[in-house]
Amino acid sequence: MSQSMKNLLKVVITMVLSLVIGAIFILSIGENPIAAYGALLKGAFGTKLGIGTTIAGFTPLLLTSIAFAVAAQAGAFNVGVEGEVILGGITAAYIGIHWGFLPAPLLYLACFAGAMVVAAAWAFIPAALKAYYNVSEVCVTILMNTVALYIGSYLVSGPMSAGVATPQTDPVLVTIPKILKPSSANAGVFLAIIIVLIVIFMLYKTKWGYKIRTVGTNPEHADYVGIDAKKTFINAMLLSGMLGGIAGCIEVLGVHGYYLDGFAKDLGTNGMLAALIVKSNMATTPLMAFFLAVLKSGAMAMQQTTGVPKAIVDTISAIFIIIATMEFVIQIKGRRQKEQAAAVSSGEAPGTAPPVESEEKEE
Amino acid sequence: MGLMENLGKVFNVSLIYATFRASTPIIYAALCAAITQQANILNIGTEGIMLVGAFTAISVSYATGSWFLGVIVAMLAGAAIAMIMAVGHIKYNSEICAIGMGINLFAIAITKFLLNTLFHTNGNFSDPKIVPIPRVELSFLENIPVLNQLFNNWCFTEWFVILFIIILQFLFYKTVWGLRLRAVGQFPMAAETAGIRVNAVKYQAMLISGLIGGLAGAHLSLGYSAQFVENMTNSRGFMGVAAMYFGGANPVLTAVGCLLFGFADSVGARLQAYGFPAQFVLMMPYLVTVLVLAISMAIKLGAERKRESSLVTGDSH
Repeated sequence: MSQSMKNLLKVVITMVLSLVIGAIFILSIGENPIAAYGALLKGAFGTKLGIGTTIAGFTPLLLTSIAFAVAAQAGAFNVGVEGEVILGGITAAYIGIHWGFLPAPLLYLACFAGAMVVAAAWAFIPAALKAYYNVSEVCVTILMNTVALYIGSYLVSGPMSAGVATPQTDPVLVTIPKILKPSSANAGVFLAIIIVLIVIFMLYKTKWGYKIRTVGTNPEHADYVGIDAKKTFINAMLLSGMLGGIAGCIEVLGVHGYYLDGFAKDLGTNGMLAALIVKSNMATTPLMAFFLAVLKSGAMAMQQTTGVPKAIVDTISAIFIIIATMEFVIQIKGRRQKEQAAAVSSGEAPGTAPPVESEEKEE
Repeated sequence: MGLMENLGKVFNVSLIYATFRASTPIIYAALCAAITQQANILNIGTEGIMLVGAFTAISVSYATGSWFLGVIVAMLAGAAIAMIMAVGHIKYNSEICAIGMGINLFAIAITKFLLNTLFHTNGNFSDPKIVPIPRVELSFLENIPVLNQLFNNWCFTEWFVILFIIILQFLFYKTVWGLRLRAVGQFPMAAETAGIRVNAVKYQAMLISGLIGGLAGAHLSLGYSAQFVENMTNSRGFMGVAAMYFGGANPVLTAVGCLLFGFADSVGARLQAYGFPAQFVLMMPYLVTVLVLAISMAIKLGAERKRESSLVTGDSH
């Protein structure tokens, strides 16, 4: 079995396992898990609005999950994507409101460029601290998320406030066209898909991407062949920051049309979740982002029709990560194959050959 | 003149207790992270362990009317969560940050789920039937002005944390078990050769860490306040981890780091009354944490380089 098939199989097994554990939770509160999951699927795909909501949720998750995965390729654990989304969003809103002197196409570009620059600069801080002072980027990014949240909240309720009851800015002058009305899905989803394809191409087909992957998998080798590990690490984090910024920009220009306080809630966390489940594998991360988008968009419908609280969805996703980080599912499979291979080569019936050494070797 | 008066209102005697009060939950969290760090395990799940502890403490205290039982069960719940992490990390090779974040997300989700299903509320839960951790009244201090303000009416777990820091300091640096723990963290192969069962020590460290994390949560929900709020830990677990880095997993130095965050927090809360934007006040402890973390690591690295520079020619890693 090829490695990618094995990965996929592991993801499917983990998915089933976490859904089963979720079902046990649902049973324990006296509800029917099959009905609940059915309502969830129906909510996510049953109507045009449902499909639109799923796509609208998928767009930022795709970008934030890839943002996390890119940083992970260089060995960074970037929890700070959420802060990057927030600051990218507020920058896009500022440019979109105040730079009306630019013609529309340039204004679009300026919004995206501004969001990317500010978000990348934000990601530079933990990246440089890690590269040069060995400060845990996990800790710093988690703390900086809260700082970003308050910066956004301050700007939108103070200097940039539209002066209405909810903390939001004036509408931006350019917006990304909506698709599948009345949902908030927008053409940004196509942009996100194109950007993700470009990022995957950059990682696997360019020297620049090769450096990142080398630093992530074997920093000593990278050092030996003359790759500047610190610089490469920072580069990966900058790219991660830019992706977060783009996600924020699409949310502001596409979904809301203005900056709304708290719009980025959980976008970064869920993106990280999607990437963590598949160990930041670039090919399967988008699939996981889609799966989580389905869960999220169907959760509300499930809560309304069956009385199962939508917090169960977050519980299932968290169990999903916890199981997915462990290596045991595939180990059991690997051992069984080794047993069979040993049995075949020695001419015995399958199952009788004891897997004496395989266990120790895997340690 | 007016400024001096206002400064006097911000920096006065009561700020000392306010600082300590704000620091205590972070100190417990930091100790939870410190014990595993001694065994070279970065306990990112502190936040989640603490949140589960906070919820358990509230529910048990509400159901049984006993704060003590609440604290004990919270500690056990913390230990159970820590053991999931331990088994995942030690036995099944989970990346510690990944499973730690998984635990944190799980804690937020499961406490929210249980809040919905057990107490049928959303957001927060408080009830007169919740018995908080008692406060220690020292009647002989009542007539002494400053000392009374400083030391009277502390929560029981606030007194206990001082004792606890000393106990852990002793445990880490003056006992055989502490020596083994540090050996496992610093040089696992040598520890193995010396006959120490490395994984057993790691499990023990995680177990105790879980007990401490549960206590941290119980103190937060039953001592610091008397209610449960969704995600009430509010990054205190992560601040604890940062303080642990600051203090190099040494309990006393770690606690000093926590006091710094507590100080930023309480000064911030007071400045808010003078028209300082709320958001800047709220971000203060986080900003201070990042700064302190960066500075302390830079100093540490500088010291290491100095020590090595005369001996090693190449890269020290």
